[in-house]
Amino acid sequence: MMSKAWLTVLAAVVLLPVFVRHAIATEIWIFAIFGLGLNLLLGYTGLLSFGQATFFGSAGYVAGYLLKHSAVNVLLVLAIGVVVGAVTAAAVGYLCVQRAGLYFIMLTFALNQMFYFTAYQWTTVTGGEDGMPGIPRPNVLGVDIHPPLAYYALVAALFLLSLWVMKRLVESPLGKILQAIRENEPRAEALGYDVARLKLAAFVIGGAFSGLAGVLYAMLFGIVPLESIGFVFSGNVVFATLIGGSGSLYGPVIGSFVFIWLSESVSAMWARWPLLLGVAFVIVVLFFRGGVVEAWGRFWAWRAARRPATVQTDAPR
Amino acid sequence: MPLVRTEGLTKAFGALTAVNAVTLEVQEGALHSVIGPNGAGKTTFFNLLTGQLAPTAGRIVFDGRDIAGTPPHKIAHLGIARSFQRTSIFPTLSIADNVWLAAFARHDSWRGLAWRRADRYPELLERAQAALGEVGLADKAGQPAREISHGEQRQLELAIALAAAPRLLLLDEPAAGLSPDETQKMVGLVRKLKGRYTIVLIEHKIGVVMSMSDRISVMHFGSVIAEGTPAEIQRDAEVRRAYLGGIAPP
Repeated sequence: MMSKAWLTVLAAVVLLPVFVRHAIATEIWIFAIFGLGLNLLLGYTGLLSFGQATFFGSAGYVAGYLLKHSAVNVLLVLAIGVVVGAVTAAAVGYLCVQRAGLYFIMLTFALNQMFYFTAYQWTTVTGGEDGMPGIPRPNVLGVDIHPPLAYYALVAALFLLSLWVMKRLVESPLGKILQAIRENEPRAEALGYDVARLKLAAFVIGGAFSGLAGVLYAMLFGIVPLESIGFVFSGNVVFATLIGGSGSLYGPVIGSFVFIWLSESVSAMWARWPLLLGVAFVIVVLFFRGGVVEAWGRFWAWRAARRPATVQTDAPR
Repeated sequence: MPLVRTEGLTKAFGALTAVNAVTLEVQEGALHSVIGPNGAGKTTFFNLLTGQLAPTAGRIVFDGRDIAGTPPHKIAHLGIARSFQRTSIFPTLSIADNVWLAAFARHDSWRGLAWRRADRYPELLERAQAALGEVGLADKAGQPAREISHGEQRQLELAIALAAAPRLLLLDEPAAGLSPDETQKMVGLVRKLKGRYTIVLIEHKIGVVMSMSDRISVMHFGSVIAEGTPAEIQRDAEVRRAYLGGIAPP
């Protein structure tokens, strides 16, 4: 039995390329995978990571290098991307979870900057400021994924897989424990949970999702741009997730849609589009802390509250 | 045989010695109360037992092994559970999840940790439900914990400790901030637990302590100044001077 949410997501996956340029549609689901990983930290564990691009970019560079210089199977490259994301997240996370609150956030940011400057300096491999261009898109199991729609299908399938995996995770004991850590860390510890290790687990899982997204992104544009490992990218995914709603599984998916669609369509018409995004962000923070998901819920609650009144005024007629 | 024994347990914060060379034995199955004025070091003593704080000196022997300085999450797995003086729950999670989390932590295996659905552990659901039934919250299981009254949150606090299936139950002022009616109810709950668990109870309400404790230790400025049965404590002159404020023996 499929839930309404899943049917909506499936419909969106099928219909999106009809209405939106294929490259943008593809980017939306890639960014959604990225957001799912972040939200395990932000929404479920209560950890604000400002360094998710570290894992996204690292995986992108490694995968790009492999695709360019060897004839590795694409599926293997995707798996390697996931592992690179998880391993870098394990290293970064190990340092970050030692501290809480603001210090945690600053550590994720500082380490992100370290990775950024490494990529910036290491021009022989990463291409520095010019990025790593010329990344091929070899066949997957004999299927040519060069046509934009074919690549879209691959990304959409991986997105659905990611969403399903994340749904299982947050409904598992681990998902509940992470929420307990978010709610009350000392109590979770007193109950017998090794808080630092569980936070690290969340970090590693989030990193794995970022890694997958990073590889798909590199293959989408045929280049790993330097920005993909930069802090602006880290900020964007936080931004998108908050706009969508960090309190729910589907929040980052909706946020990714809003963010990418706005940035790709409005930016073509108006160069100052980040201003619009800023306004959207302020509105979310001031009025809809739960993002689009909460706004949507409140809208329907408001409609439901109005309906009985309409019925009453209709009655005398 | 004592289930837990402290030997010269000391905790100093700089110049302040909050717990000073406390030597204390709690017999298996007993209800042992710790009383004393505010700031006597009772809660600090609990924090040492549960690993929230590491002692400056001394030993804590639980079931034959020294556990001083063990981190809290490991202490919990030995079977020491506590309730907090200031309500410490998971506010946005449901009441059922609050107790479920305590039960899962003590589950013998964490199989399916990241994959099995959390509601597919029938024995844990049962244990959680039993703990809620024990404190009278079974019919509110689905509500978020932040939505129930303070009195009910105190009951939940106790249920969380019980769901951990503890061998040693540390109750830090379970009736803190309760109305007289609610206090009565809480006292009834603790009385029901007596004999089934080994309990260390911190409590301010002297009448409650005197009526249900097997033994009482009196703390004052970090030290235990007296220990004995309720009757012995009531007769003790030093205790009356330090704490009971001249309550006449009956």
